[in-house]
Amino acid sequence: MAASTLDEERELTIHPLVATSMQHNNQVISNIRNLTASLFGVAAGTLGLESYPGFIFYLAGTLLVSILLFVLKTETTPGKYFYRPLGDMWLGEVFGGLSGFVLTWTLFYGLVRA
Amino acid sequence: MAQPVVQTIHRDPALFWWILLPITVVMILTGILRHYAMTLLQTTPKKQDLPKIRQQRSLVRGVNLRTNANVLSPSSFQARKAYMVQAYQEGKFLADPESRGKPRPNPMSDPAAMEGMMGMMKGNMAMMVPQSLIMGWINAFFSGFVIMKLPFPLTPQFKSMLQSGVGTRDLDVRWVSSLSWYFLTLFGLQPVYNFILGSNNAANQVTQQMAMSNPGAGMMGPEQDPDKLFLNEAENLEVLDHQWILEGIEERLVAKFAA
Repeated sequence: MAASTLDEERELTIHPLVATSMQHNNQVISNIRNLTASLFGVAAGTLGLESYPGFIFYLAGTLLVSILLFVLKTETTPGKYFYRPLGDMWLGEVFGGLSGFVLTWTLFYGLVRA
Repeated sequence: MAQPVVQTIHRDPALFWWILLPITVVMILTGILRHYAMTLLQTTPKKQDLPKIRQQRSLVRGVNLRTNANVLSPSSFQARKAYMVQAYQEGKFLADPESRGKPRPNPMSDPAAMEGMMGMMKGNMAMMVPQSLIMGWINAFFSGFVIMKLPFPLTPQFKSMLQSGVGTRDLDVRWVSSLSWYFLTLFGLQPVYNFILGSNNAANQVTQQMAMSNPGAGMMGPEQDPDKLFLNEAENLEVLDHQWILEGIEERLVAKFAA
């Protein structure tokens, strides 16, 4: 365990992480997530989804967005852009977009259905 | 138990134009206003005299030496470390060397600390005033009727809050009054602000309250004894395990090209 953390530290000093680049990449992910979350909210509201189907729709949508990010934005090599691809790209900001989703979902559900 | 009948309420379409839209627009505009108010209220840092700046910067220098130690060769790192540690221990960089070892004055009487507190007060005011104003406005104008139905069920505990002013006992909690739309916009408008104002805006009060709740080390800085900070930094430098980044570079290079 100790040896592996030492190796990791050494690796990080040889290939340092640039904080501004990381911030920029995370910002791009967060912007895409927020925008798509709001659009998913519009779709869910218009479709008239209620309670669990709505949240499942959101999770499915974020999964789709993650796949698109993986294929289009990182060109299937997320390790080049993210230190921890699983946490930063696949799961990053999933719950940050939830409030925007609920907002537009409620609005369009109220306008179209109820 | 039989499934309860789904309650439907027919509402005037004008509710959208006269309630939902105004609240949303007001919330967006308040966020923008708050962003610019915070930008304007920010006090420019006061100009400090030379010894104070020297004291601050030399501490930062020690930290920088520690974080970037790996790019220095062992001999040059040792030379820098010896100099910094000695200077720290002698108190060479202190702003007023005479007051070394004396107890610190009360931070409340220090004008610099008061300045920082004023800044925090202003930030708090810029958050609290619009929030309470808008809640009062919504309660005064838009309470007492149901405006929309949430697409997800809630527990009955929310009934008193989200149906404030609607005095029906049996109404489903999913029917909510305008105050809940206010809460939804309060939490959900952050992406909108991001797109309008750029990513590091000061528009959303929720994120600001989170930032306020754990004040960083920067705020506590001026109240600490600089001499203690220096001695602490000297100790950190002493125990640092120095590894030169260029150590074994030949093997690494050969291995890279061989691969």
